[in-house]
Amino acid sequence: MIEPKAMIELQQLCRSFQIGDQCVHALDHIDLKIEGGEYLSVMGPSGSGKSTLLNMLGLLDMPSDGEYLLNQTATSQLSEEGRATLRREHIGFVFQSYHLIPRLTARENIELPLILAGIAPKQRKPLIDKVITRLALTDRAAHAPNQLSGGQRQRVAIGRAIVMKPQLLLADEPTGNLDSASGREVIELLEELNDEGITLLVVTHDQSIGDRATRELKMIDGRIASDRVTRTAS
Amino acid sequence: MIAQDAVRLIWNSVYHSLGKSLLTALGIGIGIAAVSLLTSLGSGLQLHMLDQFSMFGTRIIAVNPGKDITHGIGGLLSSVRPLSLDDAQALDSLPGVAFVVPVVQGVGAIEYGNRQRNSDILGVGAQMSKAWQFKVSMGRFLPEDSNSHSRPYAVLGYTMKQELFANTNPLGKTIRVGGLRFKVIGVIEKKGQMLGFDMDDIVYIPTDKALQLFNREGLMEIDITFNTATTSAQLAERVKRVLIERHGDEDFSITTQDEMLLTMGNVLNVLTIGVAALGSISLFVGAVGIATIMTTTVRERSAEIGLLRAVGASQRQVLGLFLGEAVLISLLGGVIGLTLLAAIAAALSLFIPALPLALHPFFLILALLASAVIGLLAGVIPAYHASRLNPIDALRAE
Amino acid sequence: MRTADLIAFNLKLIERQRLRSAMLLAAIAISVMAINLLTGIGEGGKQFVLGEFNLLGKNVLIMLPGKKETTGGIPPLTGEATRDLTLRDAEAIARLGNVSAVAPLIAGKMEISHGTLSREAFTIGSNRAFFDIRQLEQAHGKALPKLPFEQSQAVCVIGSKLRKELFGTKPALGQWLRAGDSRFRVIGILKDKGEGLGFDMNEAIIVPVANAQALFNQAGLFRVFIELRSLDGFQKTQQRILALLKERHEGEEDVTIITQDSLLSAFENILNTLTLAVAGIAGISMLVAGILIMNVSLIAVSQRTREIGLLKALGCPARTVALIFLSEASIMALSGALLGILISELLLYVARGLYPTIPFTTPFWAQAGSALIATITALLFAAIPAQKAANMTPVDALLDKKAGQA
Repeated sequence: MIEPKAMIELQQLCRSFQIGDQCVHALDHIDLKIEGGEYLSVMGPSGSGKSTLLNMLGLLDMPSDGEYLLNQTATSQLSEEGRATLRREHIGFVFQSYHLIPRLTARENIELPLILAGIAPKQRKPLIDKVITRLALTDRAAHAPNQLSGGQRQRVAIGRAIVMKPQLLLADEPTGNLDSASGREVIELLEELNDEGITLLVVTHDQSIGDRATRELKMIDGRIASDRVTRTAS
Repeated sequence: MIAQDAVRLIWNSVYHSLGKSLLTALGIGIGIAAVSLLTSLGSGLQLHMLDQFSMFGTRIIAVNPGKDITHGIGGLLSSVRPLSLDDAQALDSLPGVAFVVPVVQGVGAIEYGNRQRNSDILGVGAQMSKAWQFKVSMGRFLPEDSNSHSRPYAVLGYTMKQELFANTNPLGKTIRVGGLRFKVIGVIEKKGQMLGFDMDDIVYIPTDKALQLFNREGLMEIDITFNTATTSAQLAERVKRVLIERHGDEDFSITTQDEMLLTMGNVLNVLTIGVAALGSISLFVGAVGIATIMTTTVRERSAEIGLLRAVGASQRQVLGLFLGEAVLISLLGGVIGLTLLAAIAAALSLFIPALPLALHPFFLILALLASAVIGLLAGVIPAYHASRLNPIDALRAE
Repeated sequence: MRTADLIAFNLKLIERQRLRSAMLLAAIAISVMAINLLTGIGEGGKQFVLGEFNLLGKNVLIMLPGKKETTGGIPPLTGEATRDLTLRDAEAIARLGNVSAVAPLIAGKMEISHGTLSREAFTIGSNRAFFDIRQLEQAHGKALPKLPFEQSQAVCVIGSKLRKELFGTKPALGQWLRAGDSRFRVIGILKDKGEGLGFDMNEAIIVPVANAQALFNQAGLFRVFIELRSLDGFQKTQQRILALLKERHEGEEDVTIITQDSLLSAFENILNTLTLAVAGIAGISMLVAGILIMNVSLIAVSQRTREIGLLKALGCPARTVALIFLSEASIMALSGALLGILISELLLYVARGLYPTIPFTTPFWAQAGSALIATITALLFAAIPAQKAANMTPVDALLDKKAGQA
């Protein structure tokens, strides 16, 4: 049996910042492998490097040292253009504060990655329709973000994240601005997507959400303090 | 990203803060309007001046006494070696010459009965009306007489005729010009002003009589018109040769009309460019305006820039979107400017119809193009800043 | 709010928005600079031109033969008229009470030679009085001798450039020049007065008027300069001269008198209009800067909505809120204007270095005016945004809906 190659592999990855005359190691020699379809949660106190890890995995940040292999491709040598292309095609982001563009409708917000990828309007339409139906946003599609509830906004943001059919979905405190009912809805939606095969990584403070993942990472001071598989994927 | 989508995104953000965009565009618009208006005025003036100068036709060469006329007064001063009527006569037979007009100008009293008027007296040859294309509205022009024994005939300009004869028929009447008696044989049609010189308040008499009247030896100028058989340079060369042969020396100067028009055209061009440059100061301030507003826009929308980068926009795409925004605002300014221009031009032509205003469609397109370029230049720095924003910091900015 | 606190508050804000403030400052500075620079150049040009034409004193009249009745036309500058202005006319004028000096003038171009060198030169026939009236000075030798009008004498005074061209480095004083059939002894060299807009005296030769009459075979004068003893009775003397000429010319008034002032004032009017027009065109940029100020203030008001709410909640009256925005705009305008004036002064200083003959200076009214216009523009254009800020209710401002979402 051939051992499956990891989708994501971090090798001795470091990320340090210079703050004043102090060097802060946000990520300190991290080794990590993530297989396709996994469901991870990342927890840890503020400043432990959770968000930096998420940004690193999302190719928004560059390692100071070490290597990040995405689908066996070393990313540190890529140009900014190349990284943008990878982000567009393989990675979806969900943020705590949604980051919807206020002057675009829900539908247009979801459409944005397709536009940036240069996909023709005719080919875009079925893709968006499918996502909107999937997220039950059909009657909200023409609304501007400020006409939507928090939960709806986050659903639009998720729609935007998955419209390009990425392999990896990165969620940074996706329920942080939501009441518990909407929060549960959102997390269930993310889990459904994971069930359909997408690799899901959720950064959170909330233990109850962290516990839902099949693999739980705990970070302290830029290191992975614990990495345990709570249950095997169903 | 396909162009259509880019335009829609850009339009969307411009339209979203319409007030701000329009105010910014208005700045550029005022600049564009100022520059196009001033340029139009300049080129209108240029056309007007050239028109005035070619009143006597364009195929014309002038000979003045004196070698250099640095102060433009060569012909007016007394010179030792004057240009004579015989000189003029000698030029008449040159190949290509159509007409030769010897000119002497002065002022004096012109009297009829007990009416008197002090004004310009122009001594000219018989060919003047054909050479300068002055039409005779009444009677005929001065006849071809022998050079030194012209009959005492006079032709009146329109104003002169009105002043002396009102609406009665002047033909055949005797007037006194500087004390000498002349018979009126014709009236020239109304010509209007040329560079502040009233072409109608004039009496035309034979050149030899004018020389007598002013007690002058020489002509002030000889005008030569030529037909298509020769060029002005060729003819100027021939005229020069003939006169040097007659005088033994080059003690005269030759000005060709196309030379003069060229010089004047150049001067007026420089003037137009200068005035347009003045106007473009406001265009420059407008550009600073775009840069300022774009800078604040980039700052306001940094979270959005971060998001765009996160969902896969490249730096180049972000640069393009913000540059596009600056260009669109500036183009909007161009349209506003042209609208302003049209309004001002309409008002001007209504209230000051005499103002020469040459609106050229080419300039209008140029104005739009210029506004686009201004937007591009003004947008470069803010757009570059936008594209270089660190997406992580940008996303956090809120 | 105390003024000092207000200014400190504003300065902190300006400092926080460094780039935007710098650009706004630049916009105002450019406009103010353009106005000052162009007014300065215009004034310099005007002073230069007027200076050139102002060679004659205020008490000098210029008489030309001939007269025209066409209104608004050019005076009969060609000097050709049916009746000559004669030396006897000039003599008669010289005998009038208020007339202190009369300089008759005949001018022409003539081939002047010395040995093998020859040159066509601007030849003036006049008298001693001409030197005083035109304020000509000699670098070497002396001026024309005082002679009765009709007496000739074979002497001449030449310009410095003509001297160089005919004599090179050799001495010229006492040498003989040939002009037409006559010979003239050089008795004086004119001081180099630089290139002028009128006749270039550096290339001229001046001989007694009677000699010039013979040389050009011409009795009629081209011009007569008349210097009056005093400016009192200026008009009356002018009338008396005209009456005298009318009497001498068989009852016909056929001469034209131009006063230096009338010529200059016409010129000055044109040049003033030109300067104003040019400054006005530059002023358009002020309008554009004003629009920019308004735009930036509007943005500032919407960005600082919460701050305004807080100020109001803390008991700051609407008037003070408006004042905060207005004073910020005025501080920007004033410092921009100051910067603009400084830059224009610097540029004019350089210009004066490059062209020392032209007195480039921005008049004080232009500096003060442009600074005032800048401030007024800033206040006018900031008024709407300031009003908008002042009229916000504290609750709405604090709960600024736009700021929270996204």
